[in-house]
Amino acid sequence: MARENIYQEEEFPSPLLQLWYNFKEKPFIMLAFSCSLALVFLAIFAPIITPFSSSQSHLDHILLPPAWNNDGNVSFLLGTDQLGRDMLSMLMHGASFTFGLSFIIVITSAIIGVVIGSLSALTSGFKSSFLNHFLDVILSIPSLLLAIVIVAILGTGLSNTVLAIIIVLIPQFIHTTRNEVKKEFSKDYVLASKLDGASPLRLLRYSIFPNILEKIITQATLAQSAAILDIAALGFLGLGAPTYIPEWGTMVANGIDLFYIAPWTVYFPGFAILFAVIATNLVGEGLRHALKLRKEH
Amino acid sequence: MLIFTLRRLNLFIFTFIVLTALSFSLSYLFPGDTLINLTGQVNASPKQRLFLIEEYQYNSNVFKQYWAYLGHLADGDLGISISSHTPISYEIMNLLPATIELSVVALFIAMIIGIPIGFIAAINHEKLTDKAILSISMLGYSIPIFWLGLLAILVFSIQLGWLPSAGRISLVYEIEHITGIQFIDILISDNPYKWQAFQDATLHIIMPACVVAIAPMTIFIRLARTSMIEVLDSSYITAAKTKGLTFWQIIYRHAIRNSLVNVIRHVGLQFANLVTLAMVTEVIFSWPGIGRWLIESIFQRDYTAIQGGLLALSSFIFIVHMLTDFIYAALNPLARDRKHGA
Repeated sequence: MARENIYQEEEFPSPLLQLWYNFKEKPFIMLAFSCSLALVFLAIFAPIITPFSSSQSHLDHILLPPAWNNDGNVSFLLGTDQLGRDMLSMLMHGASFTFGLSFIIVITSAIIGVVIGSLSALTSGFKSSFLNHFLDVILSIPSLLLAIVIVAILGTGLSNTVLAIIIVLIPQFIHTTRNEVKKEFSKDYVLASKLDGASPLRLLRYSIFPNILEKIITQATLAQSAAILDIAALGFLGLGAPTYIPEWGTMVANGIDLFYIAPWTVYFPGFAILFAVIATNLVGEGLRHALKLRKEH
Repeated sequence: MLIFTLRRLNLFIFTFIVLTALSFSLSYLFPGDTLINLTGQVNASPKQRLFLIEEYQYNSNVFKQYWAYLGHLADGDLGISISSHTPISYEIMNLLPATIELSVVALFIAMIIGIPIGFIAAINHEKLTDKAILSISMLGYSIPIFWLGLLAILVFSIQLGWLPSAGRISLVYEIEHITGIQFIDILISDNPYKWQAFQDATLHIIMPACVVAIAPMTIFIRLARTSMIEVLDSSYITAAKTKGLTFWQIIYRHAIRNSLVNVIRHVGLQFANLVTLAMVTEVIFSWPGIGRWLIESIFQRDYTAIQGGLLALSSFIFIVHMLTDFIYAALNPLARDRKHGA
């Protein structure tokens, strides 16, 4: 009998590993994945690697255009703003605010949402129906409006924005987790371990979570791009980060007055937001595609 | 259909209770005096204050207070604005139509352009056209809307000078406020220059509406694409093929209708998203809508306004949500029998 495999060893990848194999097949998605890894790197190490501090103003280089312009200066690669702060350094610092905080937001709200969602999936009857309707109502309020109301309660500022967006994102996670857990609960393999005498919490931990983890991760990538856009939008509206923090949305708002004479102060932060959101969305897209492929196997 | 209606009505009552309870509890959550937050009467004399305490049952328990609040809501009394001292309900009546106008126009733009593009992508599934459309739509929902709005102003108002950058209509035209929807007001007014005014209003709405429409449009592209692919995969399309219908006959007679039904179902869900985008856009384009007013109210610490605005805007969104649910159920008999929200 001909052996098609040279190696005797056969590999049975775990579900998560299989997901990774499917995920890394598309070069484009891998590019986006490495971009978001680079952003994570920037978010952590920005204070060490930036050429200047984000608050240091160079008073003799105010509103310097980017380096490729005739009036540009190569030590300020992307130009400076109206206070003579280096755009490149500000953008790099901004990664830790806009992109880095979105990670913290998503992880926190995912943990809270998953815990509440899975516990609520175990309940039934009136309590369950009440929660479902309540979530429907909350989800029908626009996320930004809810965030604005929460900011109005807590006061403006970056930490309050973060808290507001965490609260806004929780219902989505509850909803997804709840639906997925309910779906898994009706499957036969769960019934099998139930017959073995497993308690509901044990069922959740050993039978259900490994199978719904990817769904939650996919939801998390969606939530992350929403979080980035929301942080930036609140920053832009002046409800989020104060003007001295180089958050990308705030930077766009700072540049508006000078839009016509110094368009780069608006272009670059906008591009940075766009770049971060596209990278996140592509990673999410890749994950969903890989999930679909694995299901078809 | 009757059971469906009853079930929806049930949900409607529940939602109304949750929304009003949320809005009522905000007066406790906001910083400052609860009664002032609720009524907006900052400079009330002690006598007036006693009257208000009586009116809002301020000294009784929370449930009685909530009941009194509901009574005031039923009279259309949302208190007065802390900053401008005008009644909130009057301000909302003035501002909400502008937001409705902007979002409805944007919704139409998004649907009219997005759905056919989605169908084209689905018909060319897995081909270059499909992939190109998908990549462009990815760009569309990743772009931060305030940035897009600024770029649009820079290009179309400042550099090209084609479209005005702010407001609903040029101040030259005096249009009486009747319905609040500008286009209807212009048409029913007896202004001799009403066609010029109409043109001017159209020019003003094009840019903000297009900016708002971009992100929902890309979502409609995806929705239309997925639902069309699903429909083309179904057995009744195979049956139509075996009957000998040509490809375009199948598309026109069977596929488009059935996939449109699925898209309509999601319009309600998209509407909340669309209103969020409209709120930000209103700030950039100085559109006199409720979103801009709400954001200004935060800076002025006008808590009564925020409370009323939240209630008005979310009930409006919920009503649209319900309407699309009904339209969907009327169009699709399958949806009526399914359990909703259970």
